[in-house]
Formats: sequence, C-alpha cells, structure tokens
Amino acid sequence: MADKSAKEVLFDPLISTNPITLLVLGLCSALAVTVKLETSLVMSLAVTIVTGCSGAAIGLIHRHIPNNIRIIVQMTVIASLVIAVDQFLQAYAFTVSQKLSVFVGLIITNCIVMGRAEAFAMQNGPWMSFLDGIGNGLGYSLILIMVGFVRELFGSGKLLGYTILKPVTDGGWYPTNGLLLISPSAFVLIGLIIWAIRTLKPEQVGKS
Amino acid sequence: MQRDSVQNTFKVAILLCLVCSVIVSSLAVGLRSTQLEQKQTFRQQNILTAAGLWNAEADSAADAKRLFESSIKAVVVDLETNKETNKFEVGDPRIDPKAATSDASMHTLVTELGDGVRDIASLRRREHYATIYEVRNGGELQTLVIPIRGYGLWSTLWGFIALDVSAADKGPEAITVKGLSYYQHGETPGLGGEVENPLWKAKWPGKKIFDADWNVEVEVSKTATTDYQVDAISGATITSNGVTAMLQFWLGEYGFGPYLKRISASAPKTSTDVDSDPGESA
Repeated sequence: MADKSAKEVLFDPLISTNPITLLVLGLCSALAVTVKLETSLVMSLAVTIVTGCSGAAIGLIHRHIPNNIRIIVQMTVIASLVIAVDQFLQAYAFTVSQKLSVFVGLIITNCIVMGRAEAFAMQNGPWMSFLDGIGNGLGYSLILIMVGFVRELFGSGKLLGYTILKPVTDGGWYPTNGLLLISPSAFVLIGLIIWAIRTLKPEQVGKS
Repeated sequence: MQRDSVQNTFKVAILLCLVCSVIVSSLAVGLRSTQLEQKQTFRQQNILTAAGLWNAEADSAADAKRLFESSIKAVVVDLETNKETNKFEVGDPRIDPKAATSDASMHTLVTELGDGVRDIASLRRREHYATIYEVRNGGELQTLVIPIRGYGLWSTLWGFIALDVSAADKGPEAITVKGLSYYQHGETPGLGGEVENPLWKAKWPGKKIFDADWNVEVEVSKTATTDYQVDAISGATITSNGVTAMLQFWLGEYGFGPYLKRISASAPKTSTDVDSDPGESA
C-alpha cells in the first residue's frame, strides 16, 4: 500500500476500493440521510472533511502515537473534528443541521473514518493520509449522492426541493414511490450499485 | 521503544487532550453568537408556523424576521394576575423561561401553585411572567401564540401552540387550535422526533380545546374520534402523553387558562388594559 501514487490514493476509493460498496461500511448514515439530495450533499461534505482532516492530523503525529492508546487517540482527533463540523453547521446551515439531527454527531462512529485512520494514516505521512481521507470521503459521497438523487427524484418527485416530476397529490401526473421515502429502499439501491460494480469488476467478488 | 514508554503515553495523551480541547472550545465560543442568532430566527419561524403565517415551501429563513416584525406583537403576561404587564420589557433576559426557572424570585414550584396541584408536565417550576404573541387584524385579536413546554421521553419539548381566538366571545368551545410547533427537543429521531413532522402537525388546526366549563379536553389519543382528539404518534406513546400533559397544564388553571378566560369575557377587545369582570378571576 505504501508505494501507491498520490493519484491512486485519491481516486481508487471512488470505485475500486469504495468504502460503501467494497467494504460495506458507513451504511447506517447512508440509509438515514439520503431521503433528500440536500441532506445527502451536506452529510457527504461533512464526512469528506472529517476523513480528510483526521487523516492529515493522524498522519502528522502517527510516529509519536504510543501503540497502546492509538485507538483512543484516533477517536479524540475524530471526535474533535466532528464537533467542529457540527458547530459550523449549527452556525451557518441551521435548518440542514436540524434535519441531519444526530447523524452529524454519529460521524464519530462512522466505520469509514476510524477504518482509514487505523489502516492508512497510522502508516503514512500527513499529505498521503489527507488524500486517502478525501478519496474515501468522496467514495462515500458518490454513493450517498446517487442514492439521494434516486430517492428524492422518484420518492417525492423533487430535486433539492424543486419539483421535477409533478406528483399526483399536487395535481400532476407522477405517482410518487412511497417505498423510496423509507430507509430500507436505500438497502435495495446500494445493493443494486454493488451488483453493477461487481459485474463490471469481477475481482471484487468475495471468495466463497 | 521510546514511543511506547509510560512517560510518552502520558505526554501524548495530555498534549492531545489540551490541543483538542482548545480547538473545540474556541470554536464553540467563537461561533456562539451566530448560532444564537440562528436559533432566534428558528424560534420566530416556529411562532409563525404555529400561527399559520409561514409557508415552508415559499418562505426562506431570511423572510422570518420581516414577517415576524410585520405581523406579530409580543406581549408579557403576568401569570399570577393573568393580565398583560409592563413590569418587564419583551425580550428581557430575566423573563426568559430558562433564566426565570433558576431565579427563585421569578418562579413558583408547580406543586405549590395551589392545593393538590400535580406536576403533570414534569416542569417542577413555573415562571411568573411569560411572553405570548398576538396576531391582530385591523386591531382585532385573531390568534394567540402561547409557549408550551413539558417532558416527553428523554427531554423537555419546547414549542408553541397557536389558538384561534377570533370567536372567543362566543365561549370556550369556540376557541380552536390554529397550529402547533416544536423548536427544541431531544426525542428519538423517527419516533418521538416526529412531533416535527408536518403531516402530524397538520392534524392540529381546527381542534377544539375547552369544554363549556373551560376544562382542557384536548388530547393526543390512540383512537382519535372527537373534535378534541389528535392521533398519537406511533411508537412514541410517552412523547404523545407528554404533549397531552403539557397542553393540559399550560392551557389549564395554572397556565394560560385564566388569561384566555379573561380575553374571552372581555371580547371584542379594543385596548390591552381592559379589566376583568368581577368574579371572573379563577
């Protein structure tokens, strides 16, 4: 892993080592915040910032972190960053932060952030770890935005709050798909995405 | 290895905690005023929502302040005498409910408000002064927005109920709910947190509150059939019961009930210093 180029570190997590579709991490928040595209976007941004900055911070001090307290050190760094993001959201995007409710705070427990800190940033310098964090954040974002796009468009006929397909309930023609508004639909969508990626890249299929 | 030594472990732990706490606390302090401003706007938005003056589709947060200032008048009510008062200005920090309930001279324990009073909404303390919001049309009082709070499952829910009092002179049964809105709570998202759901809030307008004798009859019920009942939130029995309890308290005898009685008796109201009828004070 140490001899990857910066470009690979940044772009591999988008498809080939995507944290959601390959590692199946971070599903909880992916189900919860994707009813609307707006919340998906804000959540994506928040997670990308946290994974990027926590990677950089841990990469910077990884030579000094004693092995026996490394997990709690990572947690402290991540938790501080999450609180910072949460404070900024409350100050500058209040309504969105209300909608995201507990899920911003729960970024702390998002397996992707911890996973990258432990697996990558503990062995690499700050710059590469930052790129790895941003890459994985973007991989997470890509799936979130795809799922959010489908769920909002076909679930409520809107995108970012603007009506695209006029629903029957408002006198339009589009019968909204109620299934897409409830969380389990994200499972189905993510399942379909995993299927598509593994069909294109058969090497991702686990050995049975 | 030096980095795994006991001293180094302590050194890293302490340094890290110091750096992180400085970052977190300076952010919290630095962003505080902006956050408070946002909360204030959100609160105004909630008052407007409860009063039915807010269109969630068309209005943006920037409109809240303008709409609020143009259509709503805040009034301080003395909950002991049940009259408007000039003793405190609107917005005085001393009558903020959170400040008042921690200042012994500004509140009474709920159980000491009268004989055998039960603290149904788990408030423990009730402030002496409260700020309510009036919506008038050509000088005539149309809607009253009343602050409510009470305990749900995990947290105190803070919100507003708007009452249509335009026909209050016809008696207690003519007062109906115009809207209900919560702006702060810590209930479980998806269950108790559904008190924020517009679909549930839409069940409130038009509900009656009082029977002919001013008893608070409005309630959240699992089998809502009458004009006084609103469907409970599924999976959130305790939050739903909390909503009922806080309405019973705040619209009842030790909340705003006597004030509403007075308004109803003196309608049509022309000025704010109408005296109550003798024998009318509860």
